[in-house]
Amino acid sequence: MPAQVYLDYQSSKPVDPRVVHAMRPWFTERPGNPSSLHLDGDEATDALERSREKVAQFIGANKDEIIFTSGATESNNLAIIGYAIRNRKRGDHIVIAESEHISIHNIAKALEKQGFKVSKVGVNLYGQVSVEKLHKKITNATILVSIGWASSEIGTVQPMQEIGDALQGRGIALHTDAVAAEGLVPIDVSKVPIDLLTLSSNDIYGPKGLGALYIRRKVNIVPIMPGGGQERGLRSGTENMPAIVGMAAAADIMASEMPAEVLRLANHRDRLIEGVLSQIPKCHLNGHPTERLPNNAHFRFEAIEGESLLLSLKDKGIAVSTGSACSSKTLEPSHTLLSCGLLHEEAHGSLEFTFGRWSKPEDVDRVLEVLPGIVERLRSLSPLYEKEANS
Amino acid sequence: MKSTSYSEKTLDHFRNPRNVGTLEGPDVAVGKVGNPVCGDLMYVYIRVRDDRIADIKFQTFGCGSAIATSSMTTELVKGMTLDEAMKVTRNDVADALEGLPPIKMHCSNLAADALHDAIKAWREGRRGEAPDLPEISKLRPPCGISVTDQPAIQGADELLGKGVYRSVEDPKVFVDKRVLVVDRGKPSVDVALELTKHTGRVVFMSSNKAPSSKDDPRTPLKRSDVKVIYEAEPIAVLGDGEVEKVRVHDLNENEEYELFVDALVILE
Repeated sequence: MPAQVYLDYQSSKPVDPRVVHAMRPWFTERPGNPSSLHLDGDEATDALERSREKVAQFIGANKDEIIFTSGATESNNLAIIGYAIRNRKRGDHIVIAESEHISIHNIAKALEKQGFKVSKVGVNLYGQVSVEKLHKKITNATILVSIGWASSEIGTVQPMQEIGDALQGRGIALHTDAVAAEGLVPIDVSKVPIDLLTLSSNDIYGPKGLGALYIRRKVNIVPIMPGGGQERGLRSGTENMPAIVGMAAAADIMASEMPAEVLRLANHRDRLIEGVLSQIPKCHLNGHPTERLPNNAHFRFEAIEGESLLLSLKDKGIAVSTGSACSSKTLEPSHTLLSCGLLHEEAHGSLEFTFGRWSKPEDVDRVLEVLPGIVERLRSLSPLYEKEANS
Repeated sequence: MKSTSYSEKTLDHFRNPRNVGTLEGPDVAVGKVGNPVCGDLMYVYIRVRDDRIADIKFQTFGCGSAIATSSMTTELVKGMTLDEAMKVTRNDVADALEGLPPIKMHCSNLAADALHDAIKAWREGRRGEAPDLPEISKLRPPCGISVTDQPAIQGADELLGKGVYRSVEDPKVFVDKRVLVVDRGKPSVDVALELTKHTGRVVFMSSNKAPSSKDDPRTPLKRSDVKVIYEAEPIAVLGDGEVEKVRVHDLNENEEYELFVDALVILE
């Protein structure tokens, strides 16, 4: 579907045309608000609850454990802040992983301003949390642990089953931001003891501007946005029916296509990793060699800067991401890369390729055709590389 | 404005940079600015004849605008007198590139600074010298000299046995750990090389400059999987009950930064 060689599926995904088809009537023919008592309202209520059922099934949850939100950021805020405030009497300490996306760090920072204490559990060189290290961070005051299921950036998948098992029965809730993992790694909350789980619609090829939060039965949170009391009072605001129907359709499609899709994506990923590492000298894979998302290949190239690489690939019609500071709003390199023990200069030289539903084998061919030359050209400009070659 | 919203002119200089390379000879001076830690490093080489910039070359590690501003600066000043070139400002460079995204304005500063640094070197008589002779490194002991008088690393004693190691008996405890080995001569080099068999992340840190001789015990690190940092030293170990990160002093730039590690090896 994307016209160029689009290898930035982690940043944004196209909406599946089948999803658009399912959404269409909800823009025009079906005006109903689920809170209304007339026939149009009833129709919307039915669709809302059917959608909730489908999203619940997608992760092995019960229908009454899902609420819809405006996206992953809202789900994360609601889960972490809503849980922390509701359970403050039991403790004021939460734990997150050092490798988390900056958005989780910022939510934790907001809680610190309200008097909560936050600990950050370190990761190994692949960005993985160990249960052993997690145990050391837990105190009597700990009420919540939040660890992303997988890193959207370096692709490392966390041992969620182990982490969940370790926390079970200790009165500590476990939240996970699963947006990077959904559709790529099987998620089943009937097996993995997770209390709060963030989902995003776009990450399974649904529309943007919609997400969901799984809240296990008997886990209590407070709303963070007062209003009309929709979604069991936890998320006020008239339901975004086209998007909700779209997310449910996306979850349905993903549930049936995921096994084959994951194999296809892993094939692209492995060809790219093998090709890049064998054709380009002084280049390394970031993240875990095996416990990684099937669509993610993340490299760092010595002596060159990621934004230069990104611009050069852009000139060749290839879309990618970088953890370089020069491409960020703050001129700070990616915290996830630094948490793996990388130096700033190494984080600057990183490049992320993510495959998706419309990726083709030719996309890999194209990257392997142009990338070695681009790296060589930028290194020919770089004082760092020449020094290395000469000495 | 996005950080990569570059003008066509900027993109042209990024795609086809002018005056890339180095110059040598008694009539050449070199200017250096930036730091790979911050994501940019530039060298500007000027050949001066009759007080004019007869030729100019550059090498840059950096983002698109760092490369483009280096290229544009060299174009702007070629043929100028040294006085004229000293007056070239970051705004001149940015204007010549038809503007830069606001967040990237500091890049145009760097290119002009590197040029001015080269002119300064010329005027101070530092001519025909190899680049990269930061003042502070002259104060460091040269390679191979005794390393017994190392300054204490704050917090290392408290975390001894909790991620700080004075010897390596069983390398298997380092599997998949992020390890920092502090330069203590050949034994520490051997430890670093051995540890690469057990973990993918071994950083070797030395307060010395990069070795220039084949006989230096550190030279074998070059062809290994060890990430080597010269002209830097750990000044503090941080962690809550175990090692979590190390505060590093970059001697070259006189800056500090933090490095996430699980283990710190400081041989006795």
